[in-house]
Amino acid sequence: MTKKPAAGRMTIDEAGLGNGPAAAYSALPGVADEMIDASGVIKPVWQLLIDRLGAMSPEELSERFIRADRYLRDAGVFYRAYGGEGGERSWPISHIPVLIAEDEWKTLAAGLVQRADLLESIVADIYGEARLVEEGILPPALIAANPEFLRPLVGVKPVSGHYLHFCSFEVGRGPDGNWWVLADRTQAPSGAGFALENRVATTRAFSDIYAETHVHRLASFFGAFRDALQSRKHSEDDRIAVLTPGIGNETYYEHAYIARYLGFMLLEGEDLAVVNGHVMVRTVAGLKPISVLWRRLDSVYADPLELNQSSHIGTPGMVEALRGKALTIVNALGSGILETRALLAFLPAISRHLRGEDLLLPSIATWWCGQESERAHVLANIDRMVIGPAYSCLPFFDDNGQSVLGSAPVGVNECPLTERLQRDGARLVGQEAVTLSTTPVMVDGVLAPRPMSLRVFAARTEDGWEIMPGGFARIGSGDDVAAIAMQAGGRAADVWIVSDKPVERATLLPTEDHFSRSMPENLPSRAADNLFWLGRYIERSEGALRILRAWHGRYAEAADPNQPLLADVTDYLAALDIDTATGVPENLLINIDSAVYSASNIRDRFSPDGWLALTDLAKTARRFHEHVQPGDDATHAMTILLRKLAGFAGLVHENMYRFTGWRFLSIGRYLERGLHMTRLLGRLSAHDAPDGALDMLLEVGDSVMTHRRRYNVSTAHLTVTDLLALDPLNPRSILYQLNEIRNEVEQLPNAVVNGQMSPFRRETMRVHSGLAVLTPEMMTPQVYQQLEQDLYGLSDMIARTYLG
Amino acid sequence: MLYDLSLHMGYAYDTPATGARHMIRVMPMTLPGRQRLVAGSLQVSPAPDEQTTFMDFFNHAVASVFLRAPHETLDIRMQARVQVEGQSMTADFSPLLKSLPVEINNYWSLEANSPHHFLGASPRIPEDAAIAAYASEVAAPRMTILQIATALCKRIHDDFVYDGEATEVDTTPQQAFELRRGVCQDFTHIMISGLRSLGVPAGYVSGFLRTIPPPGKERLGGADAMHAWVRVWCGDVTGWIELDPTNDMPAGVDHIVVAHGRDYSDVAPVIGVVKSYGSQALEQAVDVIPV
Repeated sequence: MTKKPAAGRMTIDEAGLGNGPAAAYSALPGVADEMIDASGVIKPVWQLLIDRLGAMSPEELSERFIRADRYLRDAGVFYRAYGGEGGERSWPISHIPVLIAEDEWKTLAAGLVQRADLLESIVADIYGEARLVEEGILPPALIAANPEFLRPLVGVKPVSGHYLHFCSFEVGRGPDGNWWVLADRTQAPSGAGFALENRVATTRAFSDIYAETHVHRLASFFGAFRDALQSRKHSEDDRIAVLTPGIGNETYYEHAYIARYLGFMLLEGEDLAVVNGHVMVRTVAGLKPISVLWRRLDSVYADPLELNQSSHIGTPGMVEALRGKALTIVNALGSGILETRALLAFLPAISRHLRGEDLLLPSIATWWCGQESERAHVLANIDRMVIGPAYSCLPFFDDNGQSVLGSAPVGVNECPLTERLQRDGARLVGQEAVTLSTTPVMVDGVLAPRPMSLRVFAARTEDGWEIMPGGFARIGSGDDVAAIAMQAGGRAADVWIVSDKPVERATLLPTEDHFSRSMPENLPSRAADNLFWLGRYIERSEGALRILRAWHGRYAEAADPNQPLLADVTDYLAALDIDTATGVPENLLINIDSAVYSASNIRDRFSPDGWLALTDLAKTARRFHEHVQPGDDATHAMTILLRKLAGFAGLVHENMYRFTGWRFLSIGRYLERGLHMTRLLGRLSAHDAPDGALDMLLEVGDSVMTHRRRYNVSTAHLTVTDLLALDPLNPRSILYQLNEIRNEVEQLPNAVVNGQMSPFRRETMRVHSGLAVLTPEMMTPQVYQQLEQDLYGLSDMIARTYLG
Repeated sequence: MLYDLSLHMGYAYDTPATGARHMIRVMPMTLPGRQRLVAGSLQVSPAPDEQTTFMDFFNHAVASVFLRAPHETLDIRMQARVQVEGQSMTADFSPLLKSLPVEINNYWSLEANSPHHFLGASPRIPEDAAIAAYASEVAAPRMTILQIATALCKRIHDDFVYDGEATEVDTTPQQAFELRRGVCQDFTHIMISGLRSLGVPAGYVSGFLRTIPPPGKERLGGADAMHAWVRVWCGDVTGWIELDPTNDMPAGVDHIVVAHGRDYSDVAPVIGVVKSYGSQALEQAVDVIPV
């Protein structure tokens, strides 16, 4: 290990660090660095980036970083933090990428390919013949006492012939410059989508430098994996889906992103049903087969019948479908056992035993303390060890502090480590307390070395394992290079694999000569349900906003809430649980939040623009709720909220593909608008309604101008009724809503069954025609009441027919 | 002994159940030297839309059924003829507690009867310090594994009150232990928990027990019940021994084995997922009739 001499510093020219932010950069003593070599000289792949950084003014650099941040914010990239305050957190990017030369990367990649093959043979053996145990290589206790050993999967061979299809590895570089594997991720590795977003964000900041540097692209890696999954389908009609635990999951954003990027469905356990041994997705057109699932759900939750019986996010019968070889699941259920930390101790021996070869890439040295001599070794060297749970499937630097340095002081109520090792060795491992390399990070305008580890992804393709040329680097927050210090969290940087030749520019878009236009796949019922309710909540919020604006406008003039019309409307709103005493009432927030919730369940179907507009509406409403006062203040606030809501609706209207999903969203809106107008007319157009009610109706129905133009009389009961209930051309009238609902329903799947109209379509038609033949004088409160019931009836029917 | 067994489990749902999938483990196993299933049949009504059988990890033939259409009741009827030999209890060759770990460590296997599966926590039996302390009080250094297990079996029998009202099917061992009350399932879980805390592999046996009516009384139809007891791994030579803490006795020719597992979750007679609102009622009748 060569240390950089402290004295006799090289001149700037010799080191190649320029006089910009890297000028004073130096490695930490005894630590390898990604940018400079042991003698302090910049590695060639970094030269261009550093030269350019040196030529930028601090303002330019900051402007570039802002571009990257803005991209991430606009794309809505977030991850969810468990526990504590929870909530969504923005992706913590470190703007300076990590650059690695292609030749060095090839060596690392070869080691990871060997490792992925080895892991595949181990998991196949554990769930198959168990030779490693029978032949004395792997202690049975390590498997039998392991919560990730899923007994129902023993003997269930994957239909694809492989257990593993997608893995990731945490690798770090030791002081001698060589790479180590710190942890293997085989359960449901996350981060590949974040790596893509990291790449996009980083290239926003450094598009010019990126273009000049021969950086390997990421798209072909995903394309090859997508093709590999496509080839596992049983037939053309079969679907591939990403299975997510749902929006509560830490990396849900990424699940939606990957599904959207690769064109797969995004499903939750309840979307699936097992019928005659086959896994099917519930869609609005009935059950449709799924033959490949990319699971982002931990195995034990996948089937409440045969795995964790308390799981609410699984699919009963999934294991049975796997026994029947009806499904390829990526990775096979039970693969998580390979993440067991103590397994690292046995990999070298297993590699020799199964494959007759040594590991090209070593793991971090690990000793399982269930064995006497290993325990003795750990005890004798405890000051150089990290001690942690043997069965943990989390890397020691990422396990919520369960792992501790052997040299760490003992807490008051803690049992000394040496005693725990003696008593409970089988549950503990000792791992060498390694240090990591450092990479430059921008701190207060200059580059400073920070510890990093890489997350690298491997996908099984038709030609064997492919390693993503890149990934992301986790960067520690301080300058403590002990790997365990990564527990404290940090940032993520893009990783550029730099070739000295131009690289292939792959894209996932099909080339022109063989494109095909397929219709969107069948809409899952749960997605349809969320779209329908998104439509209803959005419209419900709009309805409330319009009445509240009209109310507060009049209140601002009258200053008397007991004025008959105001009191009447307050009463009407109270029945809907909307309060006029606060400027922006709680119930309005609940409606908007419900819309956000429905939308968040179908993030894979939304453009980032639409999502942003909707969350912005919710945030603004929440802010207004804090301080807006009744009267003028509230009128103004409602106008702003209405404008924001119209912005969202407009984005959706202008951009959403006119297919089944659109229809459910639209039906939800029309139905809610129809209900709103029906209730309102039933109340405010009655003959005994207070003075001014008709004008207010026109205002809420946004029809003041039209009324003035179309009728040569002042507002009268019949003209208002005509315009707001029965005018087929007024987009706010009840008849208009029914007309549109009828049109959309005709286009839904199964609208015609065996040559006959479906019951739902027939009922839609009945309600529509029933109203179409009425005249204004026939519109009594009783008619409105019946109409309200009919609209509720349609809502129930659509749920029963399509959304269950 | 030759027995004719019958079991009826009847479910009644408040609102019709749909899309019901059940795993049924009620058929006695064939265990060479211990018992032999001569003939058996399982009937589910309404007739399932799908029915398959598969071997689970612990070698039980599980019936898996799926009922799509709405149904208000579900009836599961099992009939079987079983030849039971009981277990042969010879002289005690089981090791002392301190030499058991070596025997376990030398057992390089993951097959269903490997002791490794029956150590440590399992889904329904988490580690429990109070039960561990309770178990350690019966274990003296010079006792063999079988002696320790027998002593724990007797202690639980003596200290606990059989009370069908005190606990439910999902009562934890810890709760039953604090109550000092429960039924066969609770006593079995507590004894397993205690043995495992000592490092002794122990598992759950579900089955049937022939009940002998009091002298002069007729046997009542359907009065027998599904039962549970413990199997203990007593070293490589002795292997598994079954002890019944509810009755403080080794399992004999009256104990008919249905399934083996780590705890109740592995052997529950019916594990089901149904779509239904409201509650469900279950009635059970068991007849164990010597032929």
